[in-house]
Amino acid sequence: MSAPGRLRLGQVGLGLVLLGAWEALPRLGLVPRLFVPPLSEALGTLVAERREFASSLPTTLGEIAAAYVLACGGGVLIGQAVAASRTARRVVLPLIRSAYAVPLVVLYPVMMVWFGLGPESKVAFAAVYAFVPTVLTVAAGVGALNPALAETARALGATRLQQVVYIALPASLPSLVAALRLGGALVIVGVIVAEMLGAAAGLGFLITRYRTLLNSAGVYAGIILVLAMTGTHEALLRRLERRVAAFRAT
Amino acid sequence: MIPTVGGAKALLSLRSVSHEFVADGLRVPALEDVDLDVPDGQFLAVVGPSGCGKSTLLSLIAGLRRPSRGTVFCGGEPVTAPMPRKIGMVFQEANLLPWLSAIDNVAFPLKLRGVPARQRREAAARMLALTGLAGFEDRLPHQLSGGMKQRVAIARGLVQDPAVLLMDEPFASLDEQTRMVLGDELLRIWSETRKTVVFVTHSLSEAVYLADRVVVLSARPGRIVDDIEVNLPRPRTFSLTSSEHFGTLRERIWRHIRSGERR
Repeated sequence: MSAPGRLRLGQVGLGLVLLGAWEALPRLGLVPRLFVPPLSEALGTLVAERREFASSLPTTLGEIAAAYVLACGGGVLIGQAVAASRTARRVVLPLIRSAYAVPLVVLYPVMMVWFGLGPESKVAFAAVYAFVPTVLTVAAGVGALNPALAETARALGATRLQQVVYIALPASLPSLVAALRLGGALVIVGVIVAEMLGAAAGLGFLITRYRTLLNSAGVYAGIILVLAMTGTHEALLRRLERRVAAFRAT
Repeated sequence: MIPTVGGAKALLSLRSVSHEFVADGLRVPALEDVDLDVPDGQFLAVVGPSGCGKSTLLSLIAGLRRPSRGTVFCGGEPVTAPMPRKIGMVFQEANLLPWLSAIDNVAFPLKLRGVPARQRREAAARMLALTGLAGFEDRLPHQLSGGMKQRVAIARGLVQDPAVLLMDEPFASLDEQTRMVLGDELLRIWSETRKTVVFVTHSLSEAVYLADRVVVLSARPGRIVDDIEVNLPRPRTFSLTSSEHFGTLRERIWRHIRSGERR
């Protein structure tokens, strides 16, 4: 077997061992079931309560979509705009960078006051939460563009618009995808956390309710759904990242 | 009015061209009063000590910058902006677009002008064949060696069939063997296409080996301090580089460079 094949096999094996431990340890009484119920029980609850889980998804997915557009759309636009000007880079970027140090989750109670208990406060929090890293990733990517390519295009007769369309945009694609990958994952986390802290609907709300009822299998069923969401997002963005990899190589 | 040089029409003319840069509020003169006529079909090399404004001179001819004073003419017309159909350019780095295949990189200037896709591909394929890259059309730049990338850049510079090809130290970042092979290749391409070439280099041997004429610039601000006709026979061969005449020409240029660097 080839070396990558062996590595792959090792990864799958390790994953199976962990899943097996998740099933076996609670069943053997080595871990209290209230802390970790067996995997099969969590999956069983996911199937048994599928109606309830399914009805929570539209709220959560809707919030994620709205926050995604705000955080990534706004982050990409502002990141590009900031990076395009030397002065803006010097003035604005350090400010945004220091915003990184603020534990944004402390803002959530404020946002609940502003936007209420409904989806708006979740969207606002997740958008703010994901915005900063998105801006920084995009700005870093634009800053790393090779100015010689723009000069070459000019010598070859490219107009300003053609320089943007044929040079700046394709050259910044890898950093855009990297920004979406990071920002999107943070949006999902932000929405779920916000729903857990205070909401009337949604997957995070459901997880918190199961916890209050000491229904650990329900909690873990919700966690599995969240993992499925972030995992799917990660896999899609990774595929996209591979496709634009050639745009980075020189 | 088209200026003439010894009866032949000058394709490129520089009339008292000066250029200054502004750095931190200070005006730094880069070129001073450069007058130059390049007849059609000539292979001209420009040499000078580092920082003498050779590359600036080229970017003025290319229309990438406007001179502070004086005018550049191409075919009698003042150059005020890039004229990609008349003047092709090759840089020190190949500067290929990393997401385009070799053939699409060569065709890129035609795409900017809206030439239909089929004509673009045909023209680009011809140019790749001319630069010895037939069969490499679909490679991406990162799949090509440094010398091959520079061949693609030369093909791109020639694809619009410009009268003038400007080359800014095109072989400077290549190893010596690749540089020598590409030099011979460039002479072959030049003899097949008869472009007017302005070739900036800091290699004296390269200048004498390739060119019909070598213009020597002084240290900053660059002024023309010598204008040497290279009357070596063509086709040029490697054995020529050890001839006495080759050595004499090299030495004459070297004396200017050395006195320039000392100041």
